[in-house]
Amino acid sequence: MRKILLEGLLVAAIGVTLAFVANALSPRGLKLNRDYFHLSLQAQSVATNLSLKAAGAGTNSPAELLAARLKAFGLQLVDSNRVAQLFNDPRRQADLLIFIDARDEDDYQQGHIPAAFEFYDAYRDKYLATVGEACRLAQQIVVYCHGGDECDDSLHAALTLRDLAGVRKEDLFVYGGGFTEWCTNGLPVEVGGRKSGQLLDHKK
Amino acid sequence: MLGRWLVGLLFVYLGLNKALHPDLFLKLVRQYELVSNPYLLNAIAAALPWFEVFCGLLLLAGVAVRGSALLLLLMLGVFTPLVLKRALAIAAAKALPLCLVKFDCGCGTGEVFACNKLVENCLLMVFSAWLLTGRGRRLCACFSPFRAAGKSPET
Repeated sequence: MRKILLEGLLVAAIGVTLAFVANALSPRGLKLNRDYFHLSLQAQSVATNLSLKAAGAGTNSPAELLAARLKAFGLQLVDSNRVAQLFNDPRRQADLLIFIDARDEDDYQQGHIPAAFEFYDAYRDKYLATVGEACRLAQQIVVYCHGGDECDDSLHAALTLRDLAGVRKEDLFVYGGGFTEWCTNGLPVEVGGRKSGQLLDHKK
Repeated sequence: MLGRWLVGLLFVYLGLNKALHPDLFLKLVRQYELVSNPYLLNAIAAALPWFEVFCGLLLLAGVAVRGSALLLLLMLGVFTPLVLKRALAIAAAKALPLCLVKFDCGCGTGEVFACNKLVENCLLMVFSAWLLTGRGRRLCACFSPFRAAGKSPET
């Protein structure tokens, strides 16, 4: 039994060492010193949601809870009507108003809001230079992910853009309904790369 | 022997699925709310998948089988109750029977039915315990760093 335990300890020691080495060598490896979920800021959001629920005794809608959560982080929520207006705003053609897709690479390639920038926060180093520059030139930025109060990617992307790219919080908006709602509303969807010109036909 | 290979292959497969998408695995680990420290969370999500691959490879090669089996048994012993706890929470939140709960438990297989996953884990635990006894070591490299000289691998 003692030998088995010692063997297990040895396997564990070697295995953990090799695991961290593999993570460091992997191009998709995680950065161990990064706060991916802004956990240091999460307490504010939890406290806000708890107080909202206590006050509303369960009557708060998911949209209200999401809005409160974003507000706790100093961010603004936009709804589908406002997003549709922003999409048709002529400033978007000149990239003075930009959309940021915070979902992962595969989801982006399969379809995104036309001309939206790709910005998957988990691997933000890949996008920060390009998107950061675009954000500095833009007057308004709308960030979205899949949508719903369970989708955190747009929140994390927005916080990264605010904290690392220097985007002013007054210019930053999070589209709560997300890409799911965008598609449900039958709005245009572009596939492939940004400004690929390939639009998905919803009617098919 | 065949069972050792199957379990080894399974852990290599499950581990690689997670190791190649550590960002998704990190999000799933976070949902269990085990740790609030972001760096510890990162360490778990970064190392665990590769560690599973390593243990799976050891099983395939028949190297340190009992040590690997012990570790897999310990991991399953920790993860299975956590999966059950999470499934129960989802069942309560959605007012569903436990066995109708389907979710991504972070096991490397995508969304699964809770009961199926729990049964699978229990079977894996039984088999790991069986490997711990020293059986299933035919056609193995039969190397153990703590095997005394002159003794057979089965003792």
